[in-house]
Amino acid sequence: MDTVYMLLTGFISVVLINNLVFTKFLGICPYIGVSGRIDMAFGMGLAVTFVMTLSGTLTWMIDHWLLIPLGLEVARYVAFIMVIAAAVQLVEMYVKRFFPSLYESFGIFLPLITTNCAILGLCLFLVIWGVGSLIEAVVLSFGGGIGFTIAICIMAGIRENLRMVDVPEALQGAPITLITAGLLALAFMGFAGMI
Amino acid sequence: MMILASVVSVLGYAVLAGLIMLGLGTAFAVLLLIANEKLKVPVDPRVEEVYAALPHLDCGACGYPGCSGYAKAVIENPELLGGCAPGGPEAANAIAAILNLQVSKEGPPLRPVVMCRAHKPERTYYGQYQGIPSCIAANAVANVQACKFGCLGYGDCMRACKFSAMRIENGLATIDYTKCTGCTACVKACPRNLIKLVPFAHENMMVVACNSLENGKSTRAFCQVGCIGCGLCVKQSDAFAVEDNLARVDYAKYEPSGQNETAYNKCPTGVIVYRGPTAQAPREPKAKPAPTAKA
Repeated sequence: MDTVYMLLTGFISVVLINNLVFTKFLGICPYIGVSGRIDMAFGMGLAVTFVMTLSGTLTWMIDHWLLIPLGLEVARYVAFIMVIAAAVQLVEMYVKRFFPSLYESFGIFLPLITTNCAILGLCLFLVIWGVGSLIEAVVLSFGGGIGFTIAICIMAGIRENLRMVDVPEALQGAPITLITAGLLALAFMGFAGMI
Repeated sequence: MMILASVVSVLGYAVLAGLIMLGLGTAFAVLLLIANEKLKVPVDPRVEEVYAALPHLDCGACGYPGCSGYAKAVIENPELLGGCAPGGPEAANAIAAILNLQVSKEGPPLRPVVMCRAHKPERTYYGQYQGIPSCIAANAVANVQACKFGCLGYGDCMRACKFSAMRIENGLATIDYTKCTGCTACVKACPRNLIKLVPFAHENMMVVACNSLENGKSTRAFCQVGCIGCGLCVKQSDAFAVEDNLARVDYAKYEPSGQNETAYNKCPTGVIVYRGPTAQAPREPKAKPAPTAKA
């Protein structure tokens, strides 16, 4: 029961309270770039969630079972980036095979998940937070992806409605998006201290 | 001694780290290799070839969002061959060669012509339109200008043109044929269906630049340069025909000839004009005949 409770709090924490986008400001590039339409944003969120879960779990395993016993913590960054790159390649092949239209609408942003700092950030946060068990690593990495999906979908929903709004000329495009992102981040501050 | 020992220990770690990275790299490489084989997407090599034969303008004239979309579609459905207006017969022939097809009909490239030659001073207005500055909105207003057929001059075609080949010159849409690719975007944009496609067999083509179906008297009343359907051109040359008070050039019969030149010169309103990249300026209309006594 204790484990389940801990996993649940960890999950809620990483989705809402320590949301990678809103509190750590990681993964802003796809967050701004692919949040034009909800369906695309959701697809991007799912792809990132998949890569995050896969690479978070794999990096935790490599870190705990290989690097720490051998005292090779310095090699963390290199190993983690390699895992992420391989996972993204895998996702790219999968999406190209089974969702060709999604693949075309992603364009350059799909390979760019490789350099999505939210993913490397999460892998490193798992180390910083001192995650002790594999199941916890899986849940937290999955939660990080869900948090990203929620963030990008909220943003896409707002931006779809923003299109019908009379935005001052100087603020059209990127500026109003960044202001929206800032206000959203402020709103998510309300979750701080919930757990 | 101390230094040597630390160097050796660092080297020992480096070798270990290198080995581990090598092992991890190999493992992932094998994984990706298997995935690549299992998830391979068969790509038709003809798509690339057809795409290379297209003009890469992504103008959308074919009805597909871009050239790559059309390339895929034309391979699946060869009936779409020739759908690329900017590419014209060259692109169609190239695609036909790739797909091992024969182009059935080949003609001169089609270019749009604005079937109106009246600039603002030559038209009649009953009032002043101050609504949304777009043709489609202005066209919804009855009597926005006296001529129900002529160019409105609010530039819907100009905004539709991706190649900045259209401009509004004193209230008349004018085409720059050096830039025009024949993508037909303007033809679709015009709410009055005023822009027609003409086969440009020669550099400059003769057209009757009017669309008015009103009878001669009415057309005269509101436009100095409209076609009045008098039939003088028909008497000069076979290539002309008058139907519904409007003369038209039959391009199947049209050749630059002396007869056509006479028709051009005899036209009382000067509505027969040349259109093309090096076309001469339209003729001035002849003086209006003295008004006859009203009944």
